[in-house]
Amino acid sequence: MVEQLLAQGFIIGVLATSIRLTAPMLFAALGEMFAERAGVLNLGVEGIMLMGAYFAFWASFTSESPWLGLVAGMAIGGLMGLGMAFISVNLRANQGISGIGIYLLGWGLSSLFFRLTFGAISGVAGFQPVNIPILSAIPVLGPVLFQHNVVVYIALLLVPLSYVVLFKTTFGLSLRAVGENPEAADTMGIQVYLIQYVCVILGGILAGLAGAFLTVGQMNMFVDNITAGRGFIAIALVYFGRWSPYGILAGSFLFSIVDALQMWMQVIGFGVPYEVLVMQPYILTVLVLALAVGRSGGPAALSKPYVRGGT
Amino acid sequence: MNRKMLGFALALLVPLSALAACGPTPVPTAAPVVVTKEVPVVVTATPAPTKPAKVFKVALILPSTMDDLAWSQSMYQGVKKVKEEMGPAMEFTVSENLYKIVDAGAAIRDYAGKGYDLVIAHGSQYQTVVRDIAREFPKTSFAYGTGFQTGPNIFAYDPQAQQGGYMLGMLAAGMTKSGKVGIVGPVKGGDAIKYNEGFKQGVAAINPKVIVLETYTGSFAEFVKAKEMAATHMDAGADVLTGTAQQSVSITKAAAERKGVYMLCSDMDQSKLAPDTVLASQIYQWDEVVRRMITLNKSGILGGERLVLDFSGGKLQLVYNPKLEGNIPKDLKDKVEKAKQDIISGKLEIKLP
Amino acid sequence: MVTSWLKERPLLNDMLVSLLAVFAAFVVGAGLLVLAGADPLVAYRPLLLGAFSSRYGITETLVKATPLLLVGLGIAVAFRGGILNIGAEGQLIVGTIATTWVVLAFKGLPGPLLLLLALAAGFLGGALWGAVPGVLKAKIGANEILITIMMNQIAALLLGFLIRGPMIDAEEVAYGTGYPQSALIPEGSWLLRLPQTRLHAGLLLALLAAFLVYVFLWRTTLGYQIRVVGTNPQAARYGGISVARNLIIATCISSGLAGLAGMIEVTGVHHRLLDGISAGYGFTAIVVALFGKLHPLGIIPASFLFGALLVGADMMQRTVGIPAGLVNSIQGLVVVFVVSTEIWQRRRA
Repeated sequence: MVEQLLAQGFIIGVLATSIRLTAPMLFAALGEMFAERAGVLNLGVEGIMLMGAYFAFWASFTSESPWLGLVAGMAIGGLMGLGMAFISVNLRANQGISGIGIYLLGWGLSSLFFRLTFGAISGVAGFQPVNIPILSAIPVLGPVLFQHNVVVYIALLLVPLSYVVLFKTTFGLSLRAVGENPEAADTMGIQVYLIQYVCVILGGILAGLAGAFLTVGQMNMFVDNITAGRGFIAIALVYFGRWSPYGILAGSFLFSIVDALQMWMQVIGFGVPYEVLVMQPYILTVLVLALAVGRSGGPAALSKPYVRGGT
Repeated sequence: MNRKMLGFALALLVPLSALAACGPTPVPTAAPVVVTKEVPVVVTATPAPTKPAKVFKVALILPSTMDDLAWSQSMYQGVKKVKEEMGPAMEFTVSENLYKIVDAGAAIRDYAGKGYDLVIAHGSQYQTVVRDIAREFPKTSFAYGTGFQTGPNIFAYDPQAQQGGYMLGMLAAGMTKSGKVGIVGPVKGGDAIKYNEGFKQGVAAINPKVIVLETYTGSFAEFVKAKEMAATHMDAGADVLTGTAQQSVSITKAAAERKGVYMLCSDMDQSKLAPDTVLASQIYQWDEVVRRMITLNKSGILGGERLVLDFSGGKLQLVYNPKLEGNIPKDLKDKVEKAKQDIISGKLEIKLP
Repeated sequence: MVTSWLKERPLLNDMLVSLLAVFAAFVVGAGLLVLAGADPLVAYRPLLLGAFSSRYGITETLVKATPLLLVGLGIAVAFRGGILNIGAEGQLIVGTIATTWVVLAFKGLPGPLLLLLALAAGFLGGALWGAVPGVLKAKIGANEILITIMMNQIAALLLGFLIRGPMIDAEEVAYGTGYPQSALIPEGSWLLRLPQTRLHAGLLLALLAAFLVYVFLWRTTLGYQIRVVGTNPQAARYGGISVARNLIIATCISSGLAGLAGMIEVTGVHHRLLDGISAGYGFTAIVVALFGKLHPLGIIPASFLFGALLVGADMMQRTVGIPAGLVNSIQGLVVVFVVSTEIWQRRRA
């Protein structure tokens, strides 16, 4: 049993699985990070992911191109982000409620459209794994890191990219200012509403992409409620990562690796009730947060609608 | 007093006043739960010949969607088949995605109140709520399953999933090259326990050296996890997979993406989804069960019978994927066929723990 | 002008805005219905009138409204203390577990005593589960949104583990089905029911809780302190109010109320512990609480309204035979439209 545990195949399997599990959460969480950094709490990520998942599936099924699927998923995500932005920025609706409304709407519509257009479970080709030349031949590291489909690489590259945007550009500076103190940002000449719009739409696009990944990059099919709560986990991971891209990467990787690990422990047969194993990623995230991460400040103006010129 | 709130409250006044007008005040009348003693069905209560034009009304409550390629869809198609046979003599409605028991209970009660003749609640989890409601509607037939506890107007249906599980387990043990086969289950209970147990015994019957890897996702609808779990099984060397519940489409899909891996299905034949992967399936002939319940109901027997789905009654069947059937060695197929005959004749009984 | 005329009549204005928002949501929903091949005029009848037109509809509405009211009250208490409690779903589940366990462990006791025990167990079970994020937030500043989302999953899996393992019904094991559910609780501990319906005495308990929450928040020092901590923690500190202590108390009361909802679902509706026992009340109740303006007097009608909407929507699905997805869509539309139009109510405030 022990040698089975330490076998190379085991390590590769766990790491490769966890990277596949990380990708959709990474997209959604990075998107949510931008929205929250600009002061908008979007609890509707799950619903946007489901819409992205359906539209990506539909588009790649009809066009037979997974790329068009990704585009469709991002487009519908952006559209729903636009709606969320309008509701929370212009109409200053309570973000806790509107997010839940968006979630219900996205879940319902994706399920309805699927029934109307397909009516039966079917598959698409989806993205095939790409072996990156030379790198994929490296023992252990190769199969873990360099034998995934292209969308996984996009997810991983998005982390440093988001970091640069957030901390090294004027746009990043502005959006952080908007999330911390919109009044001050406004007096500095930053267009608060515009920034919030851009960030919430960006969040929607990335959530749509996360859903698209599930249907054309991982499952290669659509089923009702395919996300199974991943959108909410992504929101939690934003808090875990303290609104920073690398923190979010660490959080989603920790979550996924424990999940992949518990799958292996079940396969090997540990004699522990499986519920206890399935629980592990959730318990560990809470424990790590309590013991190591601790205080999470967060954008000061998060979920408080900004009214120009005071109330 | 907060004005906004008052305004909102007033906005609700219209519907609420209607409620007050016709609503029974629950306060004083709330009596203890009336648990009527189980009255045996009095067949003589309706001796008059039923009116010729009577339409038989059937309602179906499904825990997942009716297109799930598994548990729910198999029953939906069964009822639909009976409906097609009976034509205008039968009326049929479905409520889907009612995994939550409160919502299912509301639907069951509504159908019963509207005079449906047979209300089928398709899941083990509905046992309590069916029993609860059936007491109040003694003229309606109720059915649920997998289950065994019946009532004067409750049918319980009970698929012997372990029988097909046994045969598919034999196939798995005979077809594996790596000596490892995998089960990806939803939660460890009901149908899944029976099927998995039969499967393991079937494997052992052909080759006890074959290792069965058994895992659970912890949910009926964790499609992504089910697929990754199937991948983990294959990483660990399994080259024949199986599993139950609606998430089994994920296992089929995962198996289809690797070469030389077979999938064995239960509930429904998923070979259309993966023609080069699904080797064989155990399928449930629900239409037979539905037909039987309708016949019983019409003859005045509203419940009390446990309807067993098994191979001897033909309500469970083993189907091979014609495209891959030729890959199965003849002697293995003969052994499976022999086991099937033994199960039908009662010579072979698969014991559950 | 109509608008200025309405401005002088704020109550009428608010009513009108809420009704128009719901109407607008239904208009969009009608488009979806047509898309799905249903006649909106036929479909909307059960949705709008279904919950009120029969004894069945009314009682089912109240059955749904009861847990929504209790959980919604809890959300309001937490929110007043500055905490968004997304964890009610998990707290409700732990409430059902604690209730069932206590009632089965002491099933020899007389009914009323058993119910009292169940009441305490449900409340304490929920409160204990909610105390974890409360203490972590108060002591180390850990974010409650993360912790509660994770703890919801843990609670659901814990429930699964218990009903498949330690708490499984012996009858199920004996037969070999092993269907995961606990034994039935003794009939003495069942809440009183209106005959021929599922309406149980839990509704009275929930209304009583609404009254108590009102008294607590607006008539006691502790309630006052919680509200100060929620609106202005800085001022609270200056005033010598312990922020940490009040945070913990607010979360415990909030989650205790969710646990109580769990107790009522077990003793009033299900009479045993089983999978899928919570119908997503933890999330709907957030909407209910905020619609009710976080005030018991608002939450009571809001919970009835949402109960009616849920029941009506299900009846619509059954009457017209439309896909389940459409029901969720229309509910989502109603939530989005009503919350979006609040601005026209708020303007004069």
